[in-house]
Amino acid sequence: MSAPTAELLEAAPDHGHHQTVENNFLGLPNIKLAMWAFLGSECMFFGSLIGTYFFYHDHSLGGPLPQDVFSLNITSISTFLLLTSSLTMALAVDSMKQNRFPPAVKYILTTAALGAAFVGFQIYEFSEFVLEKHLTPQTSLFGSTFFIMTGFHGAHVTVGVIWLLMMAALISKKKLVPGREATNVEVMGLYWHFVDIVWIVIFTFVYLLEFIK
Amino acid sequence: MSHAHTEDQAQSAPHSHKKHYLIIAAILTVVTGIELGIPFLKNVPSIWVPFQPVWVPLLLLLSVGKFGAVVGEFMHLRQDRSIFKILFISPLALALLCLTTVTLMSIVHFEPFGKGYAATAVDLRNGYTPPSDGPKCDPPLPDDQFKAAYAKAEGAGFETGKKIFGEKCVACHGPAGGGMPNLGLNLTDTCYKYGGTFKDLYQTVALGRADGRMPSQAAALKSEEIRQVAYFVRSLRGKNVPGGQPCVGEPAKD
Ligand code: HEC
Repeated sequence: MSAPTAELLEAAPDHGHHQTVENNFLGLPNIKLAMWAFLGSECMFFGSLIGTYFFYHDHSLGGPLPQDVFSLNITSISTFLLLTSSLTMALAVDSMKQNRFPPAVKYILTTAALGAAFVGFQIYEFSEFVLEKHLTPQTSLFGSTFFIMTGFHGAHVTVGVIWLLMMAALISKKKLVPGREATNVEVMGLYWHFVDIVWIVIFTFVYLLEFIK
Repeated sequence: MSHAHTEDQAQSAPHSHKKHYLIIAAILTVVTGIELGIPFLKNVPSIWVPFQPVWVPLLLLLSVGKFGAVVGEFMHLRQDRSIFKILFISPLALALLCLTTVTLMSIVHFEPFGKGYAATAVDLRNGYTPPSDGPKCDPPLPDDQFKAAYAKAEGAGFETGKKIFGEKCVACHGPAGGGMPNLGLNLTDTCYKYGGTFKDLYQTVALGRADGRMPSQAAALKSEEIRQVAYFVRSLRGKNVPGGQPCVGEPAKD
């Protein structure tokens, strides 16, 4: 393949100050390209989980039904936590692009804390469902499809939190390849925002719709 | 607060988008607030009722807007290279297509054989004439009396149950519920192999019996519809339609 032309490099935004990133023939960082491809496949992954939930959740043979277990309070708190974490993530990327590392680390740690709080609420919600409301994955089609879908989302958030913490440590200890830091954080940000949009969909389609039926 | 050039190594750094991100986050928060407010409008019937058809599409629209804002602005896909857009949006479109199909399937019952069954049911029912001498046991109640009896329990569900029976059950249980040789049992006598209480009937229909010779309807019908068709089956008891299959099982106890 041909080497990146000057024109291609110019057309690529956000690249002025870290050309040392391993760019491919398009003049784009490989990891960013890979992340977008991965997120595309994640769309189909979560699309099928949400679709399965839709198809089966009201074919349960018995209760508890969604209306019996969902709590708007917990879900709204979780939603705001994740929305705010998207903001702090965006600010972290913004700081990184200006080579302002200390504030970026602060933002990354805040994002991780918000994400951890989200996971905490999910653990609370799940244990309430199982212990008090007697809804387990074995109870009904609603239970199976609900826990699989939200469980996978929660697992994604957990992976994100671990990634964020590792990234914060690496930046603080200056262990990242110089010149690639901003791209690394940007790619992590893409993953994090994606986890947020999955929740936007689940929040509306799974929870809110149940309350306006 | 953020000045691009105050920090140590910043030389050619781009200027900060902090304000932009804050505005986007504020909009997202407000939209989420609106979404959360919608369920509470239920308590205000004067607003809730007249706009009933609006709420679901409005919610969907708001969440699509939020989705777009996060992808477009926070992930800045809007201003990024088109290769990223292609990589993300084409699988997203596939996923949406799949979601829409599945949602439609769950609304419009997807049953390749359903139409045929329904047509047979209607034809057979039209050709069906009640016996002149009448059955030996309990005389069958006319439909409207059943309707009155079951309206109390299920409201309009009785008619739905009857319709579902016409679509899903007549192929084996006969157009009038009298059963078919080697297929479904007679549901219009007064005895049952698996019990005749409402709960028994519900379980028979929901779970299926005899290793699936009586097929489970759990995947094809919603719980509510199973209830409705179970009520309808209960209403058939004692109708003793002519040509019905012989009694199998125990007399009903309830
Ligand atoms: C594929 C054929 C088939 C279809 C379709 C079918 N059934 Fe059955 N059904 C059977 C058979 C066979 C039995 C008897 C099983 C046995 O002998 O153990 C049965 C038994 C039953 C019984 C139990 C009767 C008793 O004496 O306990 C009920 C109630 C019943 N069916 C209701 C329905 C309803 C309602 C539908 C429609 C939603 C339906 N069936 C659809 C084949 C069918």
